[in-house]
Order: sequence, then structure tokens, then C-alpha cells
Amino acid sequence: MTDGREIENYLSELRRHLGPMTLDDREEIVREIQAHIRDAAEQNGASADDVLARLGPASELAAEYREGLLIRQASRSFSPLTLLRGALRAATKGVAGTMAFLAGLIGYTTGVGFVLGALLKPFFPDKVGVFVQQTHSASETVGATVASITANGPRHELLGLWAIPLFLVLGSLTLLATTVLIRSVLRESRQWQLRLQPH
Amino acid sequence: MARQIPKPDEEVSPDRWEAQLRKGALEMAALACLWQGRLYGLEIIRLLESQSNLVVAEGTVYPILNRLKEDGLLASEWVEAEAGHPRKYYALTAAGRRRLRQMAEAWENFAGGMMRLLKPVLAKAEVRR
Repeated sequence: MTDGREIENYLSELRRHLGPMTLDDREEIVREIQAHIRDAAEQNGASADDVLARLGPASELAAEYREGLLIRQASRSFSPLTLLRGALRAATKGVAGTMAFLAGLIGYTTGVGFVLGALLKPFFPDKVGVFVQQTHSASETVGATVASITANGPRHELLGLWAIPLFLVLGSLTLLATTVLIRSVLRESRQWQLRLQPH
Repeated sequence: MARQIPKPDEEVSPDRWEAQLRKGALEMAALACLWQGRLYGLEIIRLLESQSNLVVAEGTVYPILNRLKEDGLLASEWVEAEAGHPRKYYALTAAGRRRLRQMAEAWENFAGGMMRLLKPVLAKAEVRR
């Protein structure tokens, strides 16, 4: 039976192009398309050739299944890398995605900065902390620095070892807020596609 | 190999804009097919074909059903049929019914306004013919 052969080829091609999905998801898709091919051939008496042609190329069908998959998977993830990748993909689709990506970059960097600061404080107590620095104009500038290089000038540190818990809390909050923000933007981006009229 | 994408009744291949338009409407159309009750994929495709000319390649319908299911607007179950193999039936969830109603209202609004706007354009085209 050459028909059966052709259908088998189509299905294995489809399976191959579906790529990075769970095995269950992939097999469910293949099973459904297989049922479609059988039904379409039986009900219309169409040839396998015709049925497959009307389905479209397996690679294109798989691509449509994959479309938006990265964003959807990312919106359920907690991994910064996956979330940033999802946001980067969403950035190709709209301003909100771009903002989420930038906010993600800044948020993760800030969060990691705080945590790093907390970890480094015991080793470099003079370089990590919140400093008040005397400048020429006698005005005071306050800045949180990690391993400050501008070591000259009279300045003193405000927090002492309290910097460690404070930085840890601030860092965790920043990381958490960034994660929640990206996830909600990715989730929303799908909702926007479903709405007919953008507001 | 020549006819990978069947085009029912058009001489010109739909351009990108039209393709996007169809694709956007297809989600709502697929949901609408299920308003009366559950159907399996091929039934949805046949209904779309007979009621609208939205379907370009039959394959496009399945990924859309898949996505609508992931969004929680559709539920699916495999049902053993007399045909000898199981079929995957889709039905609207409560959220799906709500969303479809919203979409239908938005569509009516949108299409009504658009038709008023396009009336002179279409009238002119008729005269020219």
C-alpha cells in the first residue's frame, strides 16, 4: 500500500518538526492528525495525496503548532533565562514585550547586584554598603555601591552589617517582582491576540 | 505538488493582509462552530467550509484548536467511534462561552462600523463592473 506509506511519512515528518514539546503533547497531535487523515479519506473517498495536500506541508503544520509555544511555555516558567527568552520573543510582537524584556534585564541585574552585595559585604566591608560622600560643593550624595572604586574623599558607610539582610531582602524582592512582571506580560500577550479590538 | 494550498474560489492568491485577517477571524469562527455542541476536528473544518470561506489549508484549524484548549476556552476528550478509531472531540468551556459572546459583540460592532465606512467603496466597485 503506497497510500499507507505516504501517510506514515507525513506523520513522521510532522513528529520530527514538532520538536521541543513533551512526548505526550506530540503524540496527541500526531494521533489527532492521523484520525483526521483516516476520516477525511473515508468520508470523501479522497486519495491520501489529496487529503495530505489539503492539510498542507507537515513542516508548516508543525510550525503553526509551535507558534507562540515559547512564549506560552515561558509564561509558566520561573527560570530567568526562559522568561527572558520568552520576553525577547514577545518583544518581536509588540511594545509590551520589549518593555518586559528591558524591565527583565534591569530587574534581574539589580536583584543579582543586591544579592552579590550582601554576599561580598563580609569580605569587603569598606567597599560594599550605602555611602554618604562629601563632595567639593559640600553637598552630600547617597549611593548604594557594590565594590565602589571611587575610594577617595571623606565618606562613611551608613548601614554596617545591616546591609547584609537589607540587601538580601531587597534583592529577593526585586527578583520576585521581575519574575511576576514578565510572567504576567507574557500571559497577557496571548490574551491580546485573542481580543479583536486593541484598546 | 503544485497545489499545496487549495484555493476554493479565488483567482488571486490572498495577500498577507487577507491571510492575517482570516487567521485572526479563524479563532472566533472555530469557537462559534462549537456553540451548539461538541464536534471533532474534521466536523469543525467541514462546518467552516460550508458556512464561511475562512479555511485555506485544513491543517491550520488543528493548531488553533490546540491553542484555544491551552487557553482554557475549549475542552477536549477522545471518544471511541464506530469508525474503529477514536476521535478527539472539542467543546466550549464556560470561559469559552463567555469569551465567544464577548468576541461576537465586539465583532458585530466592528463589522457594522466597517461596512458603513466601506459602503461607498463597494458601491463604486459594483458600478465599474
